[in-house]
Amino acid sequence: MNEAISKVGIISCSGEEIPEGTVARQAVRRVLEGLRPQQTVTLCLPLFLAGEVGERRFAREHPTITVDGCDKLCAKRGTEQFSGAVSTSLVVTDILGGPARGCHRSTRDADKADEKAVWLVAERIAAEVDALTAAEVPSDVRDVPATSGEVCACGRPSPDGKLEVNGKSVIVNGLPLIFEHLRKNGLQPDTGCAGTLLETVRIYHFIEAAEEAGYRDALEVAYRAFCRRGL
Amino acid sequence: MAGQNSPAHVLVIPCSGIGKVHGLVSREAVYHVTDKLLPGQADTVCLALLVTGEPETREKVQQTPCITLDGCPKLCAYKNVELSGGKIAKGIRVYDTMKRHRGANFGTATALSAEGWGVVEEVAAEVAEISRHEATT
Repeated sequence: MNEAISKVGIISCSGEEIPEGTVARQAVRRVLEGLRPQQTVTLCLPLFLAGEVGERRFAREHPTITVDGCDKLCAKRGTEQFSGAVSTSLVVTDILGGPARGCHRSTRDADKADEKAVWLVAERIAAEVDALTAAEVPSDVRDVPATSGEVCACGRPSPDGKLEVNGKSVIVNGLPLIFEHLRKNGLQPDTGCAGTLLETVRIYHFIEAAEEAGYRDALEVAYRAFCRRGL
Repeated sequence: MAGQNSPAHVLVIPCSGIGKVHGLVSREAVYHVTDKLLPGQADTVCLALLVTGEPETREKVQQTPCITLDGCPKLCAYKNVELSGGKIAKGIRVYDTMKRHRGANFGTATALSAEGWGVVEEVAAEVAEISRHEATT
């Protein structure tokens, strides 16, 4: 895969004044660490001014998604002013259908409302990453499965989950995060969970129709184990 | 946040570092000051608003003493406030404080560990001390 064109840049507004800024930032981190670690990179927005030529080339070298907390669109405007045109502009309040009610500026105070908002925004970013990479990368390259040991944009191992599907070992990016999200939403690890697991995981991980049954079984077993560990 | 009727005595502005834990420490230290230690006396502004040159935010940093918190030597907060004509009372290099805790695990850019929160409180206390001094001068 040609890294220069396949990595999508994601730039969050800083949004220190408002909870939506923290939601934007946390959602971007979730995509970088868990949902799309191999496909995404980021840069601090104010670095365009404080940094050098390399930083200012960022949006010219990467298809870029900006994630703004409010309609002042600082991330979009700042990126376009100092670097280059953005591919997609997302706004937290648009995605949530209004202000992030019940959310907090400090992560120390974060609760279920923050968690839900971050997930909604992260899922939307991930979908936009998929749309951009699908447009940029040939399909025969796009579906190469992730391999063990890959790292996320911050240099740490990505929180992948391993599954045994039809005798093959498969890595699913961000599987522990997906499980944690479903567990918090009340999905019980019983026989009825496989369908929900499959539909959620396939948002983030390509599943061939012929392999659906194998994935259902593997996800159910893995989710039960995950919930047992979490008790 | 500062009270509705009285402007803040000081603005505390973190870098927006999103790639490493240092940026989150800076940001959380700001909230600890504005929300816990000096509510109504200290406030913050979005650094990104300064980057894009919003007039109201530029005016705020030009009229109010600012304390910047930076997580790396690029000094994004300090430089952007300075470029906006802001009054910088003190530029704090959070990474220098973190260096004093060599070997500690501060957490990640997404979530801080107990040691990370400890540094947040240490930096916030330093900011609060400077803020109190600014308020009396």
